[in-house]
Amino acid sequence: MPSTLERSIAFTRRPGWSLYLRHRYRLPYLLLLPVVLLLLLFLAWPLASVFYFSLRRTPLGEPSQFVGLDNFALLFREARFLGNILASLQYLVGVLGLSVPVAYLAAVLISSKVRGAGAFRTLFLLPWIIAPVVSAILFRTMVDPYTGPVARALETLTGRKYLFLVNPQLAVITIIVHSAWRSFPLEMLLIAAGLTSIPQELYDSAKVDGAGGWAQFRYVTLPLTKNQLFVAVLLITIWTLQDAEGVYSLTQGGPGYTTEVVGVRLFKEAFIYFNVGIAAAIGVVLIALSVLFMVFYLRVLGAGEGQ
Amino acid sequence: MKARLRAGLAWLGILLIGIVVFFPIAWGVKTSLTAPLGLGGGSGLIHLQNYRYILSQPLFLLYVKNSVIVSLGAVLAAIPMAILGGYALARFDFPGKRLSVLLLVLPLLPAIAVLVPLIVYMRRVGLYNTLLAVILANVVFNTPFAVWMVRGFILSIPIEIEEAATIDGCSRLEALWQIDLPLAAPGMIAVGIFIFINSWNNYLYAFAFTTSPELAVLPQALLRFLGAWGTNYGGLTAAATLALLPPAALFLLSQRWFIMGMLAGTGK
Repeated sequence: MPSTLERSIAFTRRPGWSLYLRHRYRLPYLLLLPVVLLLLLFLAWPLASVFYFSLRRTPLGEPSQFVGLDNFALLFREARFLGNILASLQYLVGVLGLSVPVAYLAAVLISSKVRGAGAFRTLFLLPWIIAPVVSAILFRTMVDPYTGPVARALETLTGRKYLFLVNPQLAVITIIVHSAWRSFPLEMLLIAAGLTSIPQELYDSAKVDGAGGWAQFRYVTLPLTKNQLFVAVLLITIWTLQDAEGVYSLTQGGPGYTTEVVGVRLFKEAFIYFNVGIAAAIGVVLIALSVLFMVFYLRVLGAGEGQ
Repeated sequence: MKARLRAGLAWLGILLIGIVVFFPIAWGVKTSLTAPLGLGGGSGLIHLQNYRYILSQPLFLLYVKNSVIVSLGAVLAAIPMAILGGYALARFDFPGKRLSVLLLVLPLLPAIAVLVPLIVYMRRVGLYNTLLAVILANVVFNTPFAVWMVRGFILSIPIEIEEAATIDGCSRLEALWQIDLPLAAPGMIAVGIFIFINSWNNYLYAFAFTTSPELAVLPQALLRFLGAWGTNYGGLTAAATLALLPPAALFLLSQRWFIMGMLAGTGK
């Protein structure tokens, strides 16, 4: 079998630039072809179709018809959908506010030179590889008003009964803590990767300049982990905004619609009520929200770089 | 003295975070090993009634089987594509290569939104309500990042080894097969485990593409147990523990390469 080298020599000797080009790039293009076809057919095309379907009404078993922006008009005039968006933003702020500080602290701890601390890098990642429905079962077991240790401990402390998934505020807190528990490991992993890439000399020279612990953190650690922190916050923002599985397994959006975040609403419209048009319109809103946050974070990061 | 104080504080922090991380898991396992009320079943700390009950349910075993089919199917279909694509991105320069960033951006768009038209298309091509559709969805949503992970692992192999092989008469594909893949084997296994865990844990795609109860995957069945069993926490946590074991074991086995691949994928 002739080697690629020989073959390419044979080809380059032939005249014709286009033939040369074609041959030179043929192999990488061929190698990428399956992935590209897969993603075009099953990701890019459906993604474009979401917009198309959002402009149509598609009753089951009947041909769909064009309705313009009716689906969006319907949604945005609905108190429930505005509540869905607010619930999503509340969920997002709660999850980020709770998980990022814990993740940063955990990252500092597992990257510290204390012997044995590194082993916890792996162990602390466990919540992240657990299925959302499994962790939802674990959390429901903990907050059961009669047998759950968390509900019971609170009851002993305050003398009141805590009905976690019945009381609206407690339900919101439960989905936030659950999601933060699932999200902090990945944030920790990314931040820790940034921490270990900081050269020790920077801390040494900071100490020479008389910087204490806090000053070292403020002027060395934090600026040099900014990019990793940014990636972590971006990923968790996107996943929290789009989350349906975690919230749905815990509360199904209840009580009432208090925990019905946009993802859960989309889940119900698409897979339970089979409202294709409305579901697609919610999908468009979710895509728009995701892109909005991506652009926002990129601009914040860009502005920081410019200083 | 100061160093000891610092180490003490670090351990205190690790302990506190450790309690938060492990308490829900430990409590779940403990609950699953507790006998249901009224069925004392003798003394002793460990009761396996919950597990015995679940494993004696033919339906539960069917759900496990479906989950194995879907997860293994997704791995087997996605890995060859990821290897070929990742290799092309790691070792070749070609016009349009910068578009590969899309592989990192596309997975950030909401899969749940993409599922809506996909359901309509799956109905049209007759794949709706089959495990094949569920496998396909898992392949589609896992492949982009898997390509990126493979790329990272191939890049970590010095290209000189491959060049030497090419001079000895190997074609590029032979070099990939005989040089890169054996050298990157632990990494490739980690990519497979990454896809397996994601597919094993997901119920969204199965919920979207199947309606027959006998096609349910394990997480979907757990969701149904939650609705039907309500507060039978012994049974619920036993089923949850069984569902948790494969991903946890696979992750712990491959953790070093798994983490490396994750960071290679999300980094620059």
